[in-house]
Amino acid sequence: MLKVPSTPDDPSRGLIDALQAAGIAPSALDVILHGTTIATNAVIERRGARCALITTQGFRDVLELGRRDRQRMYGMTGVQQPLIPREMRWEVEERLDHTGQVLVPLDETRLRALASALAAEEIEAVVVSFLHAYANNRHEERAREILREANPAWEIVISSEVVREYYEFERTSTAAVQGYLQPLVSRYARNLTAKLEQMGFDRQTLVMQSNGGLVPLAQLPGRAANIVRSGPAAGVMAAARLAADAGFDHVITGDMGGTSYDVAVVVKGTPRIAETTELDFRIPLRLPMIDVHTIGAGGGSIAYIDRGGTLQVGPRSAGAVPGPICFGRGGTGPTVTDANAVLGRINADQPIGMKHLARLDVAAARAAMGALGQPLSLDVEQTAEAILTIVNHVMARRTRLMTVEQGHDPRDFALVVFGGAGPLHGAAIMREVGIRTMLLPPHPGVLCALGCAVADIRYDLSRTVERPVLGQPDGFVRDILAGQHRDGEARMRASGTELEAIEVSHAAEMSYQGQIHTLRVPIEPSWTGSELVAAFEAVYRKEYGNTLGTVPVVIVSLKTAVLGVRRKPVMAVPTAAAEGATPAPRTRRPVHFGRWIDTPIYDRADLLPGMRFDGPAIVEQSDTTSVIEPGMTARVDAHTNILIEVA
Amino acid sequence: MDPVTLAVVRGALEQIADEMDLHLIRAALSPIISETNDCAHGLYDPVTGETIAQGGYGLPMFLANMQFTVQRLIPIANEAGGFREGDIWICNDPYLSGTHLNDVVLVSPYFVDGKLFALFANTGHWMDMGGSAPGGWVPTAREIHQEGIIIPPLRLYENGKRNDALVAMITANVRLPQQLLGDLAAMTNVFAVGRRGLDALIARYGVGTLRACIDEMMRRSEAEMRSYIAEIPDGTYRIEDYFDNDGVDDTRLTVALAITVSGSELQFDFTGTSPASRGPMNISDATTRSLCFVALKHIFPDVPVNGGAFRPTQFTIPKGCILSAAYPSAVGGTTDVTQRVVDVVFGALAQAIPAQTPAAPFGTTGVATVSGRHPRTGQYFVAVYPYPGGYGASAASDGLVNGTPPGSMAKFMSVEMSEHRYPVRFRYFGIREGSGGAGRHRGGCGTRYGIESLSDTLVSILGDRVDHAPFGVQGGGPAAPNNVQIETEGRLWIPPMRSKAEKLPFGPGDAFHLASPGGGGFGDPLDRDPTLVEADLNGGVVDLATAEAVHGVVATVVRTILDRPVYRVDRDRTQERRSALAPAPAPIA
Repeated sequence: MLKVPSTPDDPSRGLIDALQAAGIAPSALDVILHGTTIATNAVIERRGARCALITTQGFRDVLELGRRDRQRMYGMTGVQQPLIPREMRWEVEERLDHTGQVLVPLDETRLRALASALAAEEIEAVVVSFLHAYANNRHEERAREILREANPAWEIVISSEVVREYYEFERTSTAAVQGYLQPLVSRYARNLTAKLEQMGFDRQTLVMQSNGGLVPLAQLPGRAANIVRSGPAAGVMAAARLAADAGFDHVITGDMGGTSYDVAVVVKGTPRIAETTELDFRIPLRLPMIDVHTIGAGGGSIAYIDRGGTLQVGPRSAGAVPGPICFGRGGTGPTVTDANAVLGRINADQPIGMKHLARLDVAAARAAMGALGQPLSLDVEQTAEAILTIVNHVMARRTRLMTVEQGHDPRDFALVVFGGAGPLHGAAIMREVGIRTMLLPPHPGVLCALGCAVADIRYDLSRTVERPVLGQPDGFVRDILAGQHRDGEARMRASGTELEAIEVSHAAEMSYQGQIHTLRVPIEPSWTGSELVAAFEAVYRKEYGNTLGTVPVVIVSLKTAVLGVRRKPVMAVPTAAAEGATPAPRTRRPVHFGRWIDTPIYDRADLLPGMRFDGPAIVEQSDTTSVIEPGMTARVDAHTNILIEVA
Repeated sequence: MDPVTLAVVRGALEQIADEMDLHLIRAALSPIISETNDCAHGLYDPVTGETIAQGGYGLPMFLANMQFTVQRLIPIANEAGGFREGDIWICNDPYLSGTHLNDVVLVSPYFVDGKLFALFANTGHWMDMGGSAPGGWVPTAREIHQEGIIIPPLRLYENGKRNDALVAMITANVRLPQQLLGDLAAMTNVFAVGRRGLDALIARYGVGTLRACIDEMMRRSEAEMRSYIAEIPDGTYRIEDYFDNDGVDDTRLTVALAITVSGSELQFDFTGTSPASRGPMNISDATTRSLCFVALKHIFPDVPVNGGAFRPTQFTIPKGCILSAAYPSAVGGTTDVTQRVVDVVFGALAQAIPAQTPAAPFGTTGVATVSGRHPRTGQYFVAVYPYPGGYGASAASDGLVNGTPPGSMAKFMSVEMSEHRYPVRFRYFGIREGSGGAGRHRGGCGTRYGIESLSDTLVSILGDRVDHAPFGVQGGGPAAPNNVQIETEGRLWIPPMRSKAEKLPFGPGDAFHLASPGGGGFGDPLDRDPTLVEADLNGGVVDLATAEAVHGVVATVVRTILDRPVYRVDRDRTQERRSALAPAPAPIA
């Protein structure tokens, strides 16, 4: 395990640095798998390409207007920053109706004039988004040809190629994100390819996407929008795989770091997919992504007493700088990490990841706890426990909401916690939500990296049809799905990756006529209309407990996922085992669980498959600290996960 | 009170209400509920009716309205033998439950060991309640009966059994009975979600602790609200604003507000507001009070939502005025009247706490409806397009474009989805250039859109703010007012009531053109950063004449891209012009 600093001026260098630091010759590698946050950061920090947007006459502002909303339910301040500003948004005459029929032909003369005017501007990418282009992409395709003639150096993105679905704002926004990122990601892919070639690497490089699948480096530029937020997706993929190997296929994953807690749900081994994700205010991305919910609860979350006299924790965070008080970097607000330090849960003498200090400043954290708790008549330890209880409840509630809102019972799930702070809090979350088993992976602090290793290559295809299920011509559904299947397989072949198998699955977004929210229903191409309706009703009943009887059912869109299953190395399982043995603690120290308890401290490296021990206990390792509460039991499984249960 | 238990219980109660919101939003048939969250759920004290917790996903409009409704329902239920297990009450009487007939309220009592512990209540917007125009927006309604059927407070369920006779009476009088039944079932099912959550909480903490936590929560919310009010300088802050007309008589209507701050108490006095209008520009006093809280929460977003926060306020709303409607006044203009209540609260408090209070937002919800039979399916449809508009600028920022009304979170339908569902075609949909109020921070621009009918339809429009534009504050300018144009048989015309027109018969090719107001400006336009004025010019949202005359900049066209000029502002010459334009510094008022 190795960490090197990122290299923002040329992100591709970071990976090369890592290989060199590890002393690995690229030529010795079979495959390079990796994830990158360059896309996410570029959107959030608005450091993407300068783009132009060309729309249907009359619809220049769709990207900026959104759909009539505001940033927060309460508070009237703030504006949006569209990725493509108004001065670079242009219109041309053309219009299709919702069936794709041409109402106004594309004004090619005007488009040519526009293209040559734009060719003189410093623009890297041109995005084209016409109304109803998902129903007929001819105008967009033609526009691309004309633009390409005007300037072959442009990256050109047409909306119908990015999302074949209706909702003009969401589709235009997704195309804009793609255009905004494509030059940057292309550069990255080019640089990385060149550097790896130079170093003698001639095999495949695969990159993580936000749908939990991989894409070959060569195809990355065209899928730039698909790698936004791939980091959290990788973590969920890894957690799902570890849990499956350990025998759990219903899993809630919780990733807690310094500022946030990410939670996701895995049902029958498959992470739940969100169809649309808001990257920022009025920047929706309508691409299938692993549904990861984020709340502002992390080690750096600050505790305070509100105006009504109630203790609250977060979402305000001390971040990395100034950070928690006990880190001694000037932080003054008592944080969750300070509470963990005061209660002896983290090792003050060997702080994780701290190069600048040898020991945590627990005395300063205690003083802050004392000051915070004084008006509440709480002593130092009580205040610290109160902070943990409150932040744990915030996370537990969000965890519960993730399952309950989808019609699941959280007690049927196992919890996999990871991230630097996750294993400190997982036991409490598990207890609060009523989850029976928690799994602590071998390396909770670096789980995202493992996600790349376990992932397969994935292409998602989707198309809006919006029509009643019943009364469609024979083979209507089958033909569209077959077309998507062919497209996906063609891309898979073009990827040039060695595969063990290709798995194809189909789904339909369906609803009762008149409903806005759709349900994703797994389907087979051969199904008849009444089979489709029955499948929808079964999913609807599961979600809402009833059906709406005779209201007609509509197919909104048809979807196909093509998965290229890679051959993966078998994960090394330690041969040493110690069935039923109790590990020997390295040391003991007082840890506060309602009162000070002399608690055994284990080193993760000493925990061998088959070992069992009881809480209270602390497990330390280089990337995290795990807490096992009193009344809980722990055992180490064959994969060296720690499985924790409430006794 | 154990501080940790208190924090945990508060979170758990809010979670119950949130889960109820999410359940209905996903299960409702009415696109107004599922797409625009036009609903609310909460838990109320069975004796005082005060809000214990309310879901965070429903519309702000219902913030305090639910509490006032429950408070009025309690004595009615007590008269009728009290709340009993297995009861669900229903009501849409707007004089009692506020807003309009389309907002239907259900109340379900919750018992622990045979003792009434709390009341669950929800409200959801049903698409059509009968009346003379589909969807319930009747711009020329002179009495409530033209707007639909009134459901007085009644037991919809008794002993767990639904009163099907009552349901049949309702469905027989509405245009979309099947959809209504779906929404009714969804709203009823939500109570099971709430009960499940509360059962778990009671099992864990017991009735005594829970009750004590609730009382303490209320007390603390009150303390929190008081601490915010105490920071507003004592005094009386007055404002008057006007509606163009009520859709029936073309005379302006006054909304007068005096907010008096004394210590930690806040008094809202609407004396001087016009008496009930003949047309539908009326709302019930419950709604008026609720919208005052909405405005306060926009200014102080951290105030918690429960009955305690509502305690340090008092209201004087003259009986029978447009803000305290009584039978038989029509109330369909609620969407507009409610937004104006928020505007005047902003306008009054901007005088006291300018650093926290924004200028007026667009201020009219201007609902346009298109209805008829779909030529393809023969099915009856109602398409509803509520105005978006600009937000007022504030000390913090420019105003947002295409905002949703402050009392709402409702979105605008996707153009493409609209064209799939209804026989309409959008001709354009864009930013209304030059419509934001000028200022150091500029108000957000309004939105303009044109919708063409593709078959025989009826079009109704109910808006306002044509004659009286959204105001700026702290020296900021007003926004452009509302503008509605009708295009029938190739002729463009403005309706006699400017932005109100009922059931205009449209044929294929006829269209309407709406241009919603922007938001007011904040601060002196001469103080606007020249770089921002340059960006406004290049973005086309401010024209050169305005930039020169109002913002005092000197700008030149440096080149053009196709037919679009690129401006550069000359900073030195701008400085000179601004010094020449600026009046001598006035003494601080």
